[in-house]
Amino acid sequence: MSLKSLTRDWEPMSYGFLDGSAKREIRRKMLKAIAVPGCQMPYASREVPMARGWGTGGLQISCTLINPAMRIKVIDQGADDSVNAASIRSFLARVSGAPTTMDTLQADLIQSRHRIPEEMLRADQILVLQVPNPEPLRSVQPNMSIARQMHADADYGRMWLQLYEQIVRSGRVMQGASYPSLVNGRYLMTPSPIPRWDVPKLHMAQHLTILSAGREKRLYAVPPFTRVEPLVFDDVPYRVEDHGHLTCQRSGAKGYFMNEIPQAGGTSTFEVSDSELGVKTIRMAEGESARIGQTWYKDGELVQ
Amino acid sequence: MTAPPTPSDFEAETNATYAALMWALSRPGLIGHLPGTGQAQIITALIDRESAVHCTDPALAAFAARAGAALVDMDAADHVFARDLAQADLLRDLRCGSDLYPEDGATLVINADLSVGTALRLTGPGIDGAVDLSIGGLPDGFWAERARIMRYPMGFEIFLIDGSRVLGLPRSTQIEVL
Repeated sequence: MSLKSLTRDWEPMSYGFLDGSAKREIRRKMLKAIAVPGCQMPYASREVPMARGWGTGGLQISCTLINPAMRIKVIDQGADDSVNAASIRSFLARVSGAPTTMDTLQADLIQSRHRIPEEMLRADQILVLQVPNPEPLRSVQPNMSIARQMHADADYGRMWLQLYEQIVRSGRVMQGASYPSLVNGRYLMTPSPIPRWDVPKLHMAQHLTILSAGREKRLYAVPPFTRVEPLVFDDVPYRVEDHGHLTCQRSGAKGYFMNEIPQAGGTSTFEVSDSELGVKTIRMAEGESARIGQTWYKDGELVQ
Repeated sequence: MTAPPTPSDFEAETNATYAALMWALSRPGLIGHLPGTGQAQIITALIDRESAVHCTDPALAAFAARAGAALVDMDAADHVFARDLAQADLLRDLRCGSDLYPEDGATLVINADLSVGTALRLTGPGIDGAVDLSIGGLPDGFWAERARIMRYPMGFEIFLIDGSRVLGLPRSTQIEVL
């Protein structure tokens, strides 16, 4: 046995920034997360050159999965061009040499903060969601050891109670984003702060979703064709945001999730939240070649 | 502008191996393709000093030890690499984790025949409806024993290896023997 056989060749940096042991640990935990859909798996969450809470969890998953043939799309609240998305995209490209894209249809891996693209994801695509708070029970049980016991017992009564109290006080469920959802009929998860509009996109989807919280050091997954059911009472149906009738003031796209832009006079205008969908709509209106894939929603209604 | 980094052979191989394992486990019933043949590549992609491994094959055990893994008995291992199992009741030795810590359940990697054998029907997460397939080369009563042991979310994962082909069976998959 020689020293050479015990070591590997010197490299100026690890491919994809993370070192081998970090990647192996995340791989092992990702496999367990896929095997128990919705169950939060603790992981070490290494340092990356970005502050905790700015997408380090998603970034570590992307750095582990990335290879030079994988086309990367990064979005932040639906936009490809916000500072956070642009920085993460350029970091991923720089540490991996992977090509980048803004087109949902061309992406192999989509790292996202708080939105799922409007175009349907395919079976070969991976969605990585950045999660600030992975524990859906935190609002009703701040002690995470007790919350873990509640997950073990599938004891979600307090969560139902919270929703019930919201309905009694306000007449409707006030939970706007991170709507608590039951995965595979067993684990309650927070789908990350995606709007209610996006939660049905996870239900029996074709793509693989991996959710990762870097600051909280937990990851969980929703495999393809897995039930994701928002917690609802039988007589109070689940309602997505009422955006079906809104038109994007810039692109003219209609029937998708919109950003509200307040105006000086107290009114507001709307812009489509999925920025690349807006860009494609404009391109098509100007006669350029662009293709919008099949979308989850049509005219504000979920396509069944 | 710095030159874009390129993965080393080691990185490229482990990345592809993991991708095959991940998709195999995400889509139980769809047979995936590993970049190479045999179980050693899985050790390379997943195993290091933080792992406790049990290998029935002494050569593979030496390879796992080189990767830094602790070699332990089957009931203490988080990854079990087996060429074959003598009897199905050996599955009882596998770690299943607990309701509090389901991630402590083991991963079993075992050789099998993915072309002919017992007819099975799989349902559960990752499967669009149901999928039928035939698996051979496993001891009698393997599937009944698996079903008897596992109390979801406690359980273990199985990777069946046939040359470069791999089939992932997470604990969430229900398996019916037809």
